[in-house]
Amino acid sequence: MNPYIPRKAVIRSIRDETPDIKTFRIEFKDGGFSFKPGQFVMVSVLGVGESAISISSHPEDADKFIELSVRKVGNVTGSLFKLKPGSTVGIRGPFGNGWPIDKALGKDLLIVGGGCGQGALRPIILDVLRHRDRYGRVELLYGARTPQDLMFKYEHELWASVPEGCLMLTVDAVPPGVEWKHNVGVVTKLFEKTAIKPENGLVFICGPEIMMHFAVKGLMSMGFKGDQIYLSMERRMKCGIGKCGHCQIGGKYVCKDGPVFTYGDLAFEPDKIV
Amino acid sequence: MHKVSKPHAFITTLEGLQRLLDLFVKRGFTVYGPVLKGKSWVFSEIHSISEVDLNYTRSILPPKKLLLPPKSSIFSFKLNGGFEILESCDFKNVVLFGAHPCDLKAIEKLDGFLSLYPEDVCYKARRQGLFIVGLTCNVVDEHCFCSSLGIGPEASTGFDILITQIGENFLVESGSLKGLNILRELNFPEAKSEHLEAKMRHIEDLKSRFTKKADFKGLDKIAKSKLDHKVWLETAEKCLSCGNCSMVCPVCYCFDVYDSLDLTLKEGVRIMELDSCQLLEYAEVALGGNFRRDRYQRLRHWMLCKFGAAGGSTYTSCVGCGRCLVYCPAGIDLTEVARVLKGG
Repeated sequence: MNPYIPRKAVIRSIRDETPDIKTFRIEFKDGGFSFKPGQFVMVSVLGVGESAISISSHPEDADKFIELSVRKVGNVTGSLFKLKPGSTVGIRGPFGNGWPIDKALGKDLLIVGGGCGQGALRPIILDVLRHRDRYGRVELLYGARTPQDLMFKYEHELWASVPEGCLMLTVDAVPPGVEWKHNVGVVTKLFEKTAIKPENGLVFICGPEIMMHFAVKGLMSMGFKGDQIYLSMERRMKCGIGKCGHCQIGGKYVCKDGPVFTYGDLAFEPDKIV
Repeated sequence: MHKVSKPHAFITTLEGLQRLLDLFVKRGFTVYGPVLKGKSWVFSEIHSISEVDLNYTRSILPPKKLLLPPKSSIFSFKLNGGFEILESCDFKNVVLFGAHPCDLKAIEKLDGFLSLYPEDVCYKARRQGLFIVGLTCNVVDEHCFCSSLGIGPEASTGFDILITQIGENFLVESGSLKGLNILRELNFPEAKSEHLEAKMRHIEDLKSRFTKKADFKGLDKIAKSKLDHKVWLETAEKCLSCGNCSMVCPVCYCFDVYDSLDLTLKEGVRIMELDSCQLLEYAEVALGGNFRRDRYQRLRHWMLCKFGAAGGSTYTSCVGCGRCLVYCPAGIDLTEVARVLKGG
């Protein structure tokens, strides 16, 4: 089987998340699909190209659909934004390792998202909602540029209702005239308010690398160790299968060895901000 | 490749090598061999042994061009509301004639890397269609350093047939069952122990002629512990980021993938094109971010790769062919950087 051949998939519906992020609900024409939270797919708009996009829905829904939350940043994502429900796209994957759910079972979970990085974290958040007993205390920390840049706003009430947990939101800035009753400032400032301790905690982070850099620093000073901090990394990807070379961080392939790494795995690799 | 338990050795003449070439052509193979063009050698299609320069040092592009073409089609597609994909791997039966031990080792490394799951099926198709005739070097120049890396000048694997010139004659050894079958058809006389001894003397003589030494042992770890060493910045001062080193490297496999539509905008091709980590765009991400924006980062990444410390591990580490030294317009020498890092 040629790993470069995409499967056909149909866009069933499209949700606006923010001014530059949409969530595409996608169904496969040729049977089932399965994935692990934190894995990604290569999405093709044939004639334009392919982009790596994290799956933002829950694995238990994958026999019916998957969701891809996409920020419009380039040619392929720009072309996706022009598509309507009913359009066909190509999908390869899922690729990558995903979040280490096995290690998180029974643990307190601190989930830290920044910007469109929240897309890769949503499958875990949905898992907490569906299977609350799998995890200990769960705190969600989510930051974006402005209130209107927060994704999944329609679910925040649900996220906040998780027993033994909380949702803390923050933004860099609040435009005039926008009502905002949550925090203002970088997401790491929320660490002061967390009740999750290194003794029984794991941290899952996905966001801009500069944000993850400061998050790691903050967590380490709180006593978290490098192997308790999981980061979902982003690099240019052309193949998704550990061949094309582009996504290498030193000796690691983000597409194959990652995209989720412990900070300890990455600490001594070059060419990164984190 | 099926290893035969004991290599079968035969002895022949230049005329015998011509018969070998004729047999390949008769079997429908296209044969590529080292041909002198200007002052450099190029693996070009050959029909006569007289076209081949048996004393060549190294070709400009390594034989990887036959397995990983500079540009190839992954598949073609038609747009019809949705899309239809037409799968095809373009390959033909090819003989690589006269590959030196460094290039033989490089192909073994590419085979290993590209067959890692999930396998590149087009590479595999091209590889299965490739018959490899190795050639023990006749010349060692000031840029060769395969010997220091334990890769040459004696090839023991990676070929179907290996040719070693012994005076006016040629020792021809099989390295695979398909190599042996071809040789048996030609009815060459069996080699005698004197021929095998002459080969060993030739190998010993070659070893004594290396002037370039390189010590890469343990350098994967050493280089990674010296990411801030000034040698990276100093060497990068000279680097032009042209990507020549990647293009001529026999184990550099990195590629770009992009779509190309024809004029109807209804049909197109998804293309795989060899790429270089030395180019600025290589590590660029959305919104203009770039994790190897600085020249020294790109140079360091490439050299880490050649020392076995990048994502390709030892599959992409140096084989000592010397091409990157010869074809670097700035005269950057990987072995010099290695020497500095090892503190020698």
